Amino acid sequence: MWAYIVRRVVATIPVMAIVALFVFSLLYLAPGDPAAVIAGDQATPEDVERIRASLGLDRPFLVRFGEWAFRIVQGDLGVSIFTNLPVVTMIKQRVEPTLSLMVVTLCLALSIAIPMGVIAAWKQGTTIDRIVMGVAVLGFSVPVFVVGYLLAYTFALELDWLPVQGYTPLSEGIPYWLENLILPAVALGGVYIALIARITRASMLEVLSQDYVRTARAKGAGQTSILFVHALKNAAVPIVTVVGIGFAGLIGGAVVTESVFAIPGLGRLTVDAILRRDYPVIQGVVLLFSFVYVIVNLAIDILYTVFDPRIRY
Amino acid sequence: MTEPLLSVENLQTHFRTPDGVNRAVDGITFHVNAGETVAIVGESGCGKSVTSMSILRLIPEPPGKIAGAIKFEGRDLLKLSDKEMRKIRGNSISMIFQEPMTSLNPVLTVGRQIGETLRLHQGMSASDAEKKAIEMLELVGIPEPGRRVKEYPHQLSGGMRQRVMIAIALACNPKLLIADEPTTALDVTIQAQILDLMRDLKRRVGAAIVLITHDLGVVAEVAERVIVMYAGRKVEEAPVGKLFANPRHPYTRGLLGSVPKLGSSLTGHEERLAEIPGLVPSLKKKIDGCVFAGRCAEATDLCRAVAPALETKGPEHVAACHYALKEAAAA
Repeated sequence: MWAYIVRRVVATIPVMAIVALFVFSLLYLAPGDPAAVIAGDQATPEDVERIRASLGLDRPFLVRFGEWAFRIVQGDLGVSIFTNLPVVTMIKQRVEPTLSLMVVTLCLALSIAIPMGVIAAWKQGTTIDRIVMGVAVLGFSVPVFVVGYLLAYTFALELDWLPVQGYTPLSEGIPYWLENLILPAVALGGVYIALIARITRASMLEVLSQDYVRTARAKGAGQTSILFVHALKNAAVPIVTVVGIGFAGLIGGAVVTESVFAIPGLGRLTVDAILRRDYPVIQGVVLLFSFVYVIVNLAIDILYTVFDPRIRY
Repeated sequence: MTEPLLSVENLQTHFRTPDGVNRAVDGITFHVNAGETVAIVGESGCGKSVTSMSILRLIPEPPGKIAGAIKFEGRDLLKLSDKEMRKIRGNSISMIFQEPMTSLNPVLTVGRQIGETLRLHQGMSASDAEKKAIEMLELVGIPEPGRRVKEYPHQLSGGMRQRVMIAIALACNPKLLIADEPTTALDVTIQAQILDLMRDLKRRVGAAIVLITHDLGVVAEVAERVIVMYAGRKVEEAPVGKLFANPRHPYTRGLLGSVPKLGSSLTGHEERLAEIPGLVPSLKKKIDGCVFAGRCAEATDLCRAVAPALETKGPEHVAACHYALKEAAAA
């Protein structure tokens, strides 16, 4: 088990290296010249050239990549062109809201979607099943920003139950922190919930017709135990896979959600950096997101072995 | 006479399907006394498994529908609530299934699966249940029970898995054990071991057994009384010795005739293995006459028109055939 985990962690190193190369070259290939942007409209070609040299943009691609990668390994993501602050500092300032949003959304999605899917499978073909799956299709088809504004309008403006927007740090107390995160989490989680609920239902349907479910019933196990112990653990592998895949969508969705609810997180930072062509910041954030995604996938691979003892690597 | 442990009266298990009602079990009546081993035999699709599953109400309803009465210790199981039924399953009536490879949950340890019944029905703590699970594994003859208890089903062979199933079934000392083709999926040497184990445990635990099988060799080995089923109905019932010596129903004779004799092709008396021609009739059509008439060499117009009632043909011997001779006449 531990050997497997160590091997998997080591295997993420080349993945991250390739990701880093992509991140770096993407910006190198993107249209628009940062030197020209910084120099402004009034600059002469000589000014632009000077700025380009000072940023090191005139040197060969591989040399620049090598230097950049070397600094990243040491934990230095460079300095923002726009604010002159180290990128690491800027990310640190913005990481808590985004992380909070992700965690709350993940918990919310799992605690809603899995029971939804399990119940739909148990009551397959009934009205309950159709309602659950109908809600799932709805969650699938309405975009985050529409749900976000609808929620904010209904629960914040009209009913005045929750704050309209903004973020309260965790250090000011969990209730205040959570209050600001509920609406964004629901908005962001809609698609995710739909996805997980559907795969849970499909996976459970397959498992519920298995012989060992009949055995459990013959032993006198109750319905809850049959569904959530005997069946769900067997249905877990596809569900865990989808939870992991969906997490990528969550990262993308967080950017939009943070804009809708004015949450000062990494998503906002990313959008602002792209608008300003603040290359070091863009690189840093994208690299961080990729890293998180790689870690999530690693966690999923490890979870497989927890849920299904037959899986051994 | 004391009341039987289990008495099944006019059991009918029907399945509603898009193209008609499937009468899988169509009015079967039998009883099992405490400590007795009763075999239900018949070919595939005759309703023996459905009968056994109906007793524990494991038939999904709908599309299934169970009617009649199943009296166990005086209570009609068909009238119990789901909760009361759960207290009986795995406790006073337990079941062993045909497929040991798929009947155990692949993601739970063997110990947990044995312990589950103990925790459910005897309120044992997890650690007591595990201790008892180790005892049960030892009882069913699994070596190194202390290690095996922490293993998963895929780490065990087919024979060992069936032993685990037996351990699960016997953990709560049931009064009735229903074994649905417990040896069919195992190879011959393991079959003998499992049968020996069941006989041995039956002596120790004193449970009655309903053995569902199509293997007449198994019947001869372990059963005291035999019920022959055909197309969802009982066609003959007799103590095992009488049935083998003096089968009354043509279907029973056909079944007995189709058992291959070991080495018969080597001794020079090479005979073609007898078979029963034709197939089991569709259970979706209501059959007016004898259910076996379509495949019976001796069938007459009477057989095709009127269903024969179960008649006593000798002591404890009943058969449903117009032409089955009574014992006195046969002798």
